[in-house]
Amino acid sequence: MIKDAVNTETVEVNPVDQVRSTIYQLLSSLFAKEIDHKTLHDLTSDQAKQFWAQLGSEAEFKADVDVLVAELAKLNTDKALLELAADYCGLFLVGTKYSASPYASLYLSDKPAKKGDEPLLFGEQHQQMTQFLKQSQLQVQSEFPEPADHIAVILAYVAHLCTHSDETEQLSFINANLANWLGNFVTKVTEVDTGNFYQALVRLTHAWVKSDAEWLESELN
Amino acid sequence: MNRRDFLKGLVGTSYVVLSGSSVLAPLNALAASGADASDGWLTTGSHFGAFKMKRKNGVISEVKPFDTDMYPTDMINGIKGLVYNPSRVRYPMVRLDFLLKGHQSDTTQRGDFRFVRVTWDKALRLFKDSLDEIQTKYGPSGLHAGQTGWRATGQLHSSTSHMQRAVGMHGNFVKKVGDYSTGAGQTILPYILGSTEVYAQGTSWSLILEHSKTIILWSNDPYKNLQVGWNAETHESYAYLAQLKEKVAKGEIRVISIDPVVTKTQQYLGCEQLYINPQTDVALMLGIAHEMVEKNLHDTKFIEGYSLGFDKFLPYIKGQTDGVEKTPEWAAKITGVSAEIIRDLAKVMTKDRTQMLMGWCIQRQQHGEQPYWMAAVLATMIGQIGLPGGGISYGHHYSSIGVPSSGAAAPGAFPRNLDEGQKPIFDSNDFKGASNTIPVARWIDAILEPGKTIDSNGTKVTYPDIKMMVFSGNNPWNHHQDRNRMKKAFHKLECIVSIDMNWTATCRFSDIVLPACTTFERNDIDIYGAYANRGLLAMQKMVEPLYESLSDFEIFTRFAALLGKEKEYTRGMTERDWLVKLYNDCKAANAGQFEMPEFDEFWKAGYVYFGEGKPWVRHAAFRDDPEINPLGTPSGLIEIYSRKIAHYEYDDCPGHPTWMEKAERSHGGPGSDKHPIWMQSCHPDKRLHSQMCESEEFRETYTVNGREPVYLNPEDAKKRGIKSGDVVRVFNDRGQLLAGAVVSDKFPQGVIRIQEGAWYGPVGEDGSKEGGAKIGAICSYGDPNTLTMDIGTSKLAQACSAYTCLVDYEKYQGKVPAVSSFSGPVEIAL
Repeated sequence: MIKDAVNTETVEVNPVDQVRSTIYQLLSSLFAKEIDHKTLHDLTSDQAKQFWAQLGSEAEFKADVDVLVAELAKLNTDKALLELAADYCGLFLVGTKYSASPYASLYLSDKPAKKGDEPLLFGEQHQQMTQFLKQSQLQVQSEFPEPADHIAVILAYVAHLCTHSDETEQLSFINANLANWLGNFVTKVTEVDTGNFYQALVRLTHAWVKSDAEWLESELN
Repeated sequence: MNRRDFLKGLVGTSYVVLSGSSVLAPLNALAASGADASDGWLTTGSHFGAFKMKRKNGVISEVKPFDTDMYPTDMINGIKGLVYNPSRVRYPMVRLDFLLKGHQSDTTQRGDFRFVRVTWDKALRLFKDSLDEIQTKYGPSGLHAGQTGWRATGQLHSSTSHMQRAVGMHGNFVKKVGDYSTGAGQTILPYILGSTEVYAQGTSWSLILEHSKTIILWSNDPYKNLQVGWNAETHESYAYLAQLKEKVAKGEIRVISIDPVVTKTQQYLGCEQLYINPQTDVALMLGIAHEMVEKNLHDTKFIEGYSLGFDKFLPYIKGQTDGVEKTPEWAAKITGVSAEIIRDLAKVMTKDRTQMLMGWCIQRQQHGEQPYWMAAVLATMIGQIGLPGGGISYGHHYSSIGVPSSGAAAPGAFPRNLDEGQKPIFDSNDFKGASNTIPVARWIDAILEPGKTIDSNGTKVTYPDIKMMVFSGNNPWNHHQDRNRMKKAFHKLECIVSIDMNWTATCRFSDIVLPACTTFERNDIDIYGAYANRGLLAMQKMVEPLYESLSDFEIFTRFAALLGKEKEYTRGMTERDWLVKLYNDCKAANAGQFEMPEFDEFWKAGYVYFGEGKPWVRHAAFRDDPEINPLGTPSGLIEIYSRKIAHYEYDDCPGHPTWMEKAERSHGGPGSDKHPIWMQSCHPDKRLHSQMCESEEFRETYTVNGREPVYLNPEDAKKRGIKSGDVVRVFNDRGQLLAGAVVSDKFPQGVIRIQEGAWYGPVGEDGSKEGGAKIGAICSYGDPNTLTMDIGTSKLAQACSAYTCLVDYEKYQGKVPAVSSFSGPVEIAL
């Protein structure tokens, strides 16, 4: 019996799905805001080290986990935290497709090529995600005033699905709303990032989502 | 390891790393109930027009023009993109090095876009701490919070009012006089015609259409410029332009566009063009005047009864004072207009009723006072000032001037100044011998040369030693000249604060950036119909402020609270209280003349209609009786010769209109051997100055290769191996930019156009962001003020001289950098 991250009622959850959910939730929170002292403390605790070690035991995650752990270890001054916050700001808080704003709408390659028509922010993908959330009796926190197609929202929603829906539904959501643009997002962040942390985070996210989708598929077959 | 084992291995370790709360929350009851109750059509407006806007699922889904707007601008398609655009300032941010080192930060890093997000509380405290430091160390002369501009419409949330009232409660500061649009015109014309003229209502279009036989559009493109207005436009002028087009076609009115380029208006009206070499308008006017005198075409009776000083001007025309007779032949050599045509113009302009309609471009150049003065002299010589369809106007391309005003009183605004009896915390008025007000375009001079004394409009101005700037709803990194010079000046500033909706270049070169919401995210009121004052508009909030942006009222109420002055600031009234007060004050002012319902009824209807105005003739009362209705000049008459100006003894603005060579002039003028091309940076066709450049999808309808278009003459382009679509490097000794080539026969040899308002996006020669902060960087998007000259028009107005600018251009051969104007640190195409 584990408390759900969003809903306060307790639900019966399979521990493996709970782990998956927690990892999605962790990735979501790392994209949602800058790393502060508390997060840093949580991410570098002894238990967190075990977690990173276990996650890094999988070859496809190892390189990026190593970078993240190494970068976290360097955050031992206020200035280092601020430098990382500036990396975060430059990537995710200003500009769009020319920086690396974390909105799905900017990275979907099949968007209409019409000119002078629909703005990309708070557009179709935002509406679509809002609908998904609504169906699950959820909404974006008022303290997080971002469009619903922000990567943190999508990852948090997958975290929710892991413990609230069947594997078919999870897989189809991931394929239609996350796996289809993460590759472009990785390319962009890797090109633009002035530090190492966020490019490692975004690569790890991509690898995790890919492997999780494969796992879901294998479970379904 | 198999997958299940791997995942199981994470059980027990994973939950401990989960930090903070989720970005998701349970759906609240209101949102769960279905469609948002506030979805539907609402009324609002902006500089671009009065609108109806549809809100659907909590976002703006559709924008359509106000019912009475028959000629809406294309820019309506950019409105949604203004709200939902990539360049929004989403959170309060502080430049990293400033956060670390405060007033000792490395100011040469400004522009490299390395910011961090902070809370509102933190940002406002840093703002206040900086003001404390400046007032303590330097006093009021260290702070310039007077560089204000076009803001957004709305009388309650006017960004200028809020910033200056709030900062004014903290301490005193340096202010500006004049503006960039009409600096020379608004300074010279009170001496000549007794008012600024540029911002005055003009003769009604209906009377011009009825009485004029000839209309001279002098460097004037109303069809382009009337798309936007100071208040919500409803574009009534366009109905008159449509009638004018018909009359031109029927041969009933002859319209001559005197301009180096084929304007949008000329193309629309199908009228004549008289090509003239750039910056030579005064010489043409003098040639015409000479011919009028020679052939005795001028109205000596009018000159005698209504003006002063023609006798002192005549010897100059005849060459008796300077040895150069201003004959049509003399003028032809300078202007490129043949003597024959000049002679004909003199005849045409004096034969029938002639209305001169002056644009503003020709006064945004060195000696920009002169063409306005000389045009007034020509109009006086023609003798039709004060007659319907005759005389001269300096504003028919602006804000519905020429559409009769309803005559109703407009609503007041949230107060800009402190209330009587209120005192700032830092009450010193010791400007240390410097002036507390400086000409608007001379602030960079002041930062670079504090303590220097200059002549300005009959007085002496001593530059204050400015250490901090506060901007709100204003983007001088668009409208000021010479970016490299600006960078040098900004290195000397300790702190810069910008409050804006979007990441303008000004924000980018600031230390503290605060997000204001757009017009469409707050409730407000303003008039609609611009100068026609056709009615009062309810500007209804469409959506809640995006991200963490706040309304100007909210931002500065919080700031005032930090000063312990919240009550003083708001007078204890809420935003809604203010809205109702501004409405009720307006209602009281219009009582008995214009019926206005109770506030709630008005708000529900979305507007109050004030009715049509009566046709009106500018200067008719003066013409009727100049003694009872004198002009506001020293003599009460039109001053062809100004004793007052002559008394100043300025070498660059003598006592009567004078032709003076420019520091740079194309077509054989100074500097043209090195940089042969004149660059005009006129008001844009698809923006309001720099407003709406950030509206991404709309911008993409006119950019070339993602860059601002540069309009090129076909022969000039061919000589340089350039075709439409090429990326072009435009350069001079002051700077360089990249722009997208549009080769067009509307532009003569030796002339290019890059419209101002193109967002500055500097990058290093290697395309790097770090290089963008450096002096000498190249603008990746095409901001023309990278190239313009930062000098005053003269000792009189000290206004901006953006139009005195020579450049050259070439096909860009290097690796083309991505555009960096609209977003983050480095731009690489996806």
